[in-house]
Amino acid sequence: MSFAERHVLEWLIYLPMLTAAVLVAIPAAWRTTARWVGIGSGALLMVGSAWVFIAFDYSAGAETFQLIKVYTWLESVGIDFRLGVDGIAAPMILLTGIVALTGSVIAANVDRDAKNYYILLFVLIAGVYGTFASIDLFFLFFFYELAIVPMFLLIAVWGSSSTFADFVRTKEYGALKLVLMIVAASVLVWIAIIAIYVWVDIGTFDILRLRDAVQDGGLSSGAQKTLFPLVMVGFGLLAGLWPFHTWSPDGHVAAPTSVSMLHAGVLMKLGAFGIIRVGMTLLPEGMEAWAVVLFILGTVNVVYGAISAMSQTDLKYVIGYSSVSHMGYVIMGIATLDSIGLTGATLQMFSHGIMTALFFAVVGAIYERAHTRDTLILNGLAAKMGWTTAFFVIAGLTSLGLPGLSGFIAEVLVFIGAFSSEVTLAGTFRAGPLLGALGILGAAITAVYILRLVARVFFGQRDPQWDALPDLTPREILASGALVIPLVLVGVWPAPFLDVIRPGVDAILGGLP
Amino acid sequence: MTLLHFQLLSAAIFCIGLYGVLARRSAVLVLMSIELMLNAVNLQLVAFGAFSGFGTSTGQVIAVFVITIAAAEVGLALAIVMRLFRSRGGVNMDEIDVMRG
Amino acid sequence: MEQAWLIPVFGFGAFAFLALFRKYLPGQGKHLAVLAIIAAFVAVWPVLFDMLDKGVGEHHFPRDWFSAGPLEVGWGIIVDPLTVAMLALITFVSVIVQVYSLGYMRHNGTDDSRIGWYFAVHSLFSASMLMLVLADNLLLLYVAWELVGLCSYLLIGFWFERRSAAEAAKKAFVTTRIGDVGLLIGVVLLIVEFGTVDIIEIMGSLGDPGVNQAVVTASAFLVFFGAMGKSAQFPLHVWLPDAMEGPTPVSALIHAATMVTAGVFLVARLFPLFDATDSAQMAIASIGLVTALMGAAMALVMTDLKRILAYSTMSHLGFMMLALGAGGYTAAIFHLLMHGIAKAMLFLSAGSIMHAAHEETDIRKMGGLRKRMPITSAAFTIGALALAGIPPLNAFWSKDEILLAVADGLNPVFVVLFLIAIVLSALYMGRAVLVVFFGKLKPENLDIHESPRIMAWPLALLAGLAVVTGFIALPIGYEGIGTFLVAPGDKPHAFEVVPIWLVASVVLALGGLALAYLLYGKEDTSRVDALRERFARAHDIVANRFYMDHAYQWTIDRVVLKVSGLLARFDRKVVNDVGVNGPGLGAVEAGRRLRYHVTGLFADYGLGIVVGVAVLGALLWFGV
Repeated sequence: MSFAERHVLEWLIYLPMLTAAVLVAIPAAWRTTARWVGIGSGALLMVGSAWVFIAFDYSAGAETFQLIKVYTWLESVGIDFRLGVDGIAAPMILLTGIVALTGSVIAANVDRDAKNYYILLFVLIAGVYGTFASIDLFFLFFFYELAIVPMFLLIAVWGSSSTFADFVRTKEYGALKLVLMIVAASVLVWIAIIAIYVWVDIGTFDILRLRDAVQDGGLSSGAQKTLFPLVMVGFGLLAGLWPFHTWSPDGHVAAPTSVSMLHAGVLMKLGAFGIIRVGMTLLPEGMEAWAVVLFILGTVNVVYGAISAMSQTDLKYVIGYSSVSHMGYVIMGIATLDSIGLTGATLQMFSHGIMTALFFAVVGAIYERAHTRDTLILNGLAAKMGWTTAFFVIAGLTSLGLPGLSGFIAEVLVFIGAFSSEVTLAGTFRAGPLLGALGILGAAITAVYILRLVARVFFGQRDPQWDALPDLTPREILASGALVIPLVLVGVWPAPFLDVIRPGVDAILGGLP
Repeated sequence: MTLLHFQLLSAAIFCIGLYGVLARRSAVLVLMSIELMLNAVNLQLVAFGAFSGFGTSTGQVIAVFVITIAAAEVGLALAIVMRLFRSRGGVNMDEIDVMRG
Repeated sequence: MEQAWLIPVFGFGAFAFLALFRKYLPGQGKHLAVLAIIAAFVAVWPVLFDMLDKGVGEHHFPRDWFSAGPLEVGWGIIVDPLTVAMLALITFVSVIVQVYSLGYMRHNGTDDSRIGWYFAVHSLFSASMLMLVLADNLLLLYVAWELVGLCSYLLIGFWFERRSAAEAAKKAFVTTRIGDVGLLIGVVLLIVEFGTVDIIEIMGSLGDPGVNQAVVTASAFLVFFGAMGKSAQFPLHVWLPDAMEGPTPVSALIHAATMVTAGVFLVARLFPLFDATDSAQMAIASIGLVTALMGAAMALVMTDLKRILAYSTMSHLGFMMLALGAGGYTAAIFHLLMHGIAKAMLFLSAGSIMHAAHEETDIRKMGGLRKRMPITSAAFTIGALALAGIPPLNAFWSKDEILLAVADGLNPVFVVLFLIAIVLSALYMGRAVLVVFFGKLKPENLDIHESPRIMAWPLALLAGLAVVTGFIALPIGYEGIGTFLVAPGDKPHAFEVVPIWLVASVVLALGGLALAYLLYGKEDTSRVDALRERFARAHDIVANRFYMDHAYQWTIDRVVLKVSGLLARFDRKVVNDVGVNGPGLGAVEAGRRLRYHVTGLFADYGLGIVVGVAVLGALLWFGV
């Protein structure tokens, strides 16, 4: 094993922490230094993440989990600092790298207290990497919480409040709701984790050994079915699972641009990832029993989010509800218990992460310039803001599932998975085709709201008050352009991604009863 | 002199201290009452240590610990009492309810 | 033949290059796009000759694209007569339209400011359509299908500063997207049922034992729903007339070679699927007929030149669908090709008029243009006569084939209604020609002159083709079109003439033209006015496009947006305010009530401790 193979995963966690520590040490007045430290660290993370993705060996016969690194921590309890990636985690690591880099570039727009902003941002990034790379339940949960806590300050201090005709959403409300709901949900997860640890009773939090024990009947079917809802709701909430989704639009709207990018782009995926890693892997019988519920809720997410998005008048709220809708495809894909569907779900996590980061980057740029996000006021921006329009339209087309961009491949796989899913309602009715058809309908509704938005905000006659709005700066163009590349790449040539995902999916589905 | 005598004396001192803590109004007297209670416990520790028959000094060691901690505690508490006296002009415990819900 | 996949690559390459670097190229790279499409056009011919050489029929060249789970998706190609015919039409019309656009997008010596983008999307449009006709599997076909939709969106909305253009683009995309919901469900059903995406494999095993025929039937209907959206069939036709908001050459492309032909092509490509299902065939024929009649009726009353042409397209697409429903695969594709050439010419002529007449499209403000614009008016007239079904122009032959197919495959009601549609077709085309090119020149049009040569030449070329291409139906040099364009699984059939239908169609077409001359041939419009008075109600309904746009608008405003608004309110008031804030406020309220137990007095806490210790001690003492 080369040096990189031995250490890259842990350094993906240490580096952002180290960055935060370095930033703590430098004086607050050195803004430019803080920015460059942040961007440089983001670039290093991107390189490391790409390395993990490329180094992942997907050939037949390769280990399911690779780049494994273990540091014994509390031997008596069985908690070790244990890292490793499989086919599901590798694309997520890459996603985190891309969004961390572009997010830290966009974060350079923050004027107020840039240093502390970056510190919190990097703590959050460390938490995200840790969750994706942990194969120890304790540390998975630890990093999961670590990723959530900085959100509160980031939103409450640097966020923005929105005022509507008949109600107000302050940034403090958004921050509080987001953190309280997620933390409350994580209590459920924590209960489930402790219960798994105690009931399986092999004295370890190691996911791999727990998995093997569960496979050998170490956890009764009844226990699995009891614990699964805890995991489903606990992690599902972070994935925006209906009806626990309302933190997501409000939180994303209140958050500053780069935090929205990271949060909608990466953090929501932690939820879906948690369902796969803890729910599907450690509670296979519970997953099987509850799949149809998850399936239905996921479909509700898709349709409900899309319809809600249609009547929003705030650009960020549209994107926020669209995230709820798109995470529905991920949930649907997981619940199909079908290899095509789960592959689609994983790819959708990646695709949606990039797409929504691009959305928030562009919308944030518009807001910084126009100081409004009201779609009823903004109009005709296309003529003067060519780059802004181009990036928004690309993100929009990805979200409505246009072929040639990543969203299509992911969604179509989810649909095919849904139609071939064996999941039944009450043991008789095969719910897949009906729910899949509703999902396809949801994609059409997405087209309606995205195109309405584009037509209203970017096309048409321009109001003179927007004449002076400048287009994106070169830095923003670079960051947004970097996000477009993976969208197109996955859309045109998804094979490398699907190859990496395949072994992970096969291993997980192979563990189901 | 049996262990019981020490026990009874200790209990008596403890109850006096408890009464003082609950009933006195002056913060200084409350502190002194807490000292009484601590010393009652110390007496117990030493007595048990002496009568246990093992010949170890565990009881005395812990009593010394308690005395040390009590000293620190009194130092801190008196400082608080001083601040209270300066800011409120009195140390009547019944009037100090800043932690009321 | 195996290298036929390269044909769309020219267009995709041109798009990618222009999209990224157009700002740095002379003329924003417009000539590059034209060169790319010419290269594609040239590349079609070796494919044709190779196929003639190796045998007319289905040639399949699979290639791997990606796989997920058990699903294998390729980007292979099918080369068969249908593909080659479509390739030839698409590349040819694209070349003509792009060359023409070089002139059209130039006003007073300067190019449109986004000319590079225009040509880039044009390239993508042609390339996507080429990919669509080459695709060997359902998923790749769907990919191309959606890309075609995207390009139409971008081009219809090319002048996006105009609110109407932006709305029309959105309408086109959303309407076809609604059809695509059906298509995608149908496609996924087929993929899941047959476990493969390969079209040839699926079409070959439709009747296999173990195949759920209910799924086959359902997917036939669903796929056709998608075709209805793209091919502007009733009731999803509403986007087509609005699509006129794009630059006129775009309309020519959409109506002749890309976009609307995609639906007809799809039904032809998956012909066995529909052939296997009688009810689906009947549905196709009926929808086609309704579309044909509605389109013709609306074309008759419109006063906007481009709208007349748009409704004419709709009507002719109805003909094609009708033919497919009747089992007339050859007739439908043949008409698709002939109509493509004629309609391209008509739109380019209309564009030529608009270019000269300051974007005027109202035919009531035109008249007598034939003296000022001889080439344009000759081309328009030939195209109109061809679509009216006058021999020996090209669409006459294809329409005759359709008539044969309909008479052969469907009941007499269809035949009679189709004959009526033929009369209407001649009538509205006659009207358009007479009103626009004959009569007196209006004073505001005195400064009109013929368009520049780069626009006139394509017209002349198309006019020549419109005259001669019809003869490919005849058994000259081979046994006729019926032996070339053969439905999968069908026997080739030789060219045949049924005199009664031939005479009927010519007489009816001429009758329609004569009627047009009677009504519109003179300056005096009293007869038309009288008719309009007489049938005021019917005219009103037709002129308002059967109120379908109104109905859709009403549905969107009053139903869809209302539901969406209600749901958003529900989300805020119930899910958030009750579901989320509720427990939060509950906790606050509980705290507010419970806080009175906390006095803040030292003695109270002390007492609490004492009582607690006493209780615990007692419990311990009594050994509970």
